Amino acid sequence: MSNKDEVRLIVDGKRLDGRAFDELRPIKIKVGVLKRADGSCYLEMGKNKVVVAVYGPREVHPRHLQDPVKAVVRYRYNMAPFSVEERKRPGPDRRSVEISKVSREALEAIVMKELFPRSGIDVFVEVLQADAGSRTACLNAASVALVDAGVPMKGMISSVAVAKVDGELVLDPMKEEDFYGEADMPFAFFIRNDRIESIALLQMDGRVTKDEFIKAVKMAKDGAMRIYKMQKEAIKSKYVVESEEEVD
Amino acid sequence: MRSIVLPGDLLATNPKVAGSGTYVEGGKVYAKFLGLLDKTDTSVRVIPLRGKYIPSIGDVVIGIVREVTANGWVVDINSPYQGFLPLSENPNVRPNKKPNEVLEIDDIIIAKVTNIDPKMKVTLTMKDKMCRAVRFGRVIAINPARVPRVIGKKGSMIKMFKTELGVQIVVGKNGLIWASGDRRKVNIVEEAIYIIEEEAHTEGLTDRITEFVRKRKGEFDEQ
Amino acid sequence: MGDDIILDIRRDYVLGKIRDGERIDGRAFDEYRKIEIETGIIEKAEGSALVKIGDTQVVVGIKMQPGEPFPDTPDKGIIITNAELVPLASPTFEPGPPDENSVELARVVDRGIRESEAVDLSKLVIEEGEKVWLVFIDIHALDDDGNLMDASALAAISALLNTTVPAERFEIGDDFPLPVRDLPVAVTSHIIGNVFVVDPNKDEENASKNFITVTTDSDDNIVAVQKSGSYLLDEEKLYQIIETSIKKARENRKLLKEV
Repeated sequence: MSNKDEVRLIVDGKRLDGRAFDELRPIKIKVGVLKRADGSCYLEMGKNKVVVAVYGPREVHPRHLQDPVKAVVRYRYNMAPFSVEERKRPGPDRRSVEISKVSREALEAIVMKELFPRSGIDVFVEVLQADAGSRTACLNAASVALVDAGVPMKGMISSVAVAKVDGELVLDPMKEEDFYGEADMPFAFFIRNDRIESIALLQMDGRVTKDEFIKAVKMAKDGAMRIYKMQKEAIKSKYVVESEEEVD
Repeated sequence: MRSIVLPGDLLATNPKVAGSGTYVEGGKVYAKFLGLLDKTDTSVRVIPLRGKYIPSIGDVVIGIVREVTANGWVVDINSPYQGFLPLSENPNVRPNKKPNEVLEIDDIIIAKVTNIDPKMKVTLTMKDKMCRAVRFGRVIAINPARVPRVIGKKGSMIKMFKTELGVQIVVGKNGLIWASGDRRKVNIVEEAIYIIEEEAHTEGLTDRITEFVRKRKGEFDEQ
Repeated sequence: MGDDIILDIRRDYVLGKIRDGERIDGRAFDEYRKIEIETGIIEKAEGSALVKIGDTQVVVGIKMQPGEPFPDTPDKGIIITNAELVPLASPTFEPGPPDENSVELARVVDRGIRESEAVDLSKLVIEEGEKVWLVFIDIHALDDDGNLMDASALAAISALLNTTVPAERFEIGDDFPLPVRDLPVAVTSHIIGNVFVVDPNKDEENASKNFITVTTDSDDNIVAVQKSGSYLLDEEKLYQIIETSIKKARENRKLLKEV
């Protein structure tokens, strides 16, 4: 990428979209947006627009795919053909397959699969508009949709990336930063009781020093906590009326 | 007013109080799914707001026959797990009748869960006075997590439907409700149940629904 | 037998109501659920629309790019319609390549747009015989609570009305609005016993799989018809359905005028 050096991503200490280094893009979360799904979430993160449906636990067909001791979790990350500049051919490509795998593994680590032997929990993710960090947006939405479906989990997942651009670490990179930056590090954290417990997803490509890497983790943790608060808020605002109910 | 808890919310630091809807790790009690917190000095539990029906022994369920085998019936009970009703657990079985002459595919039954093995193989029985094949009336479906609301405190809601409308009702734990009686009265029950499911959000739910039922009943009494 | 026990259990109720001249949601036989159209929801697409009919939701996105014309129509742009019944939209949809239902959906929507000549393809020529605009209509179902067909057709024409030809991006002149000159509207009727209802919801669709979709243009001409389902259709009933379809299409077309 010869034009890498020509593009300046940080001007006067600000990012191209005016954000501070540790600032997230705007996030919008809506819970329970689909009638047919058991749980669902619509989420915008920057220009990402994603919808997630959760189905399950439900019967798994064909039977040989069942696990006798726990639920089988499926995660399907799919991009709508119109979600990107150049129309994307429908169907899975290698990139979506990889994203689906690491995202599923992040969620599997907190979903209490052993409670539902032989069953399946499906997380279907549709990217309606893709921007940088679509995998993190999808995971944030998936975590909310799983909660909305009433699926038992140890906690929640919040996800955000950190990039290195023009020698600086920046939170939640947008497209240009992702494209021209020196490094990209998507993270997802297991959060329990308002505390980050551990790392559920981690990928990285580019080049950073060890110190930068450690700083990136801290930055991502801080961003993830802010996202977690928004996720919680979105769920609670949907269910708040219910708390006033009389139940036996 | 009960507060909403999310998975992972810390509920107590004494594992002895951990009840349904919670899990214990490192001596701490956490919520395991979205629900309403029900906390006393001696117990903590989470009442689910959403989620699938997971069978438990003793539950009355309403199901639909999906398969007839030589040994019994495979029954869909609106759950990730199918139920199996063995011939021996159906009192209507006679030596001269084939299984499909007793119950056939698409028949709806009221049954009880008698056994669940570690692989979640669910066994049903119809040997209970509540159990029967449903050949009339109406089956109403709601979110299984809302079933306690339809039953009401100590069955108050069900009693109210019976006394106000004379409609017979069996509430399956799996979110399926059978109502039988005068068709117009069953219509009122169905409307009321959907209200309970959808928008119950004030105290005195039973009173509000009673009022609704009386009003609707009055409407057609006038006609 | 379906996978959804709730739908199965409600089947008799649906049929019982219809016999009494009623629908389970209280609608008249020729009444649509509430229709909502929102356009321009996907900024990265050349045009887009989200259509809700009751709880059914469909997104259509339009992408355009220059490409080669078909040899027999060197002076016309090309429309390519594709539908994905993604598993997000229904407990019965499975991941994988388009099945016969999504292919049928895409083709019926495509026919309505093509045969009504809704898009003026002659205005989409960049260099005759060499280069024309390709218009990709991608139908993405989000929530299938019945009648994906009409929702998809409505979303497709709404998205086309919202489309700007991205000429500047491909350095072939100025952007211009996609020339849309007709408003085809599809009306799906669902035949249950000896009656028919428009805009079936999922409970109704589950009670029988007998449909007919009639697409009409702004002059009430019939531009596409699809009988779907293994049933035998009475001739007299067909004429009634066509009458109703024309009437309902006129009503729904008014919503498009506001787009």
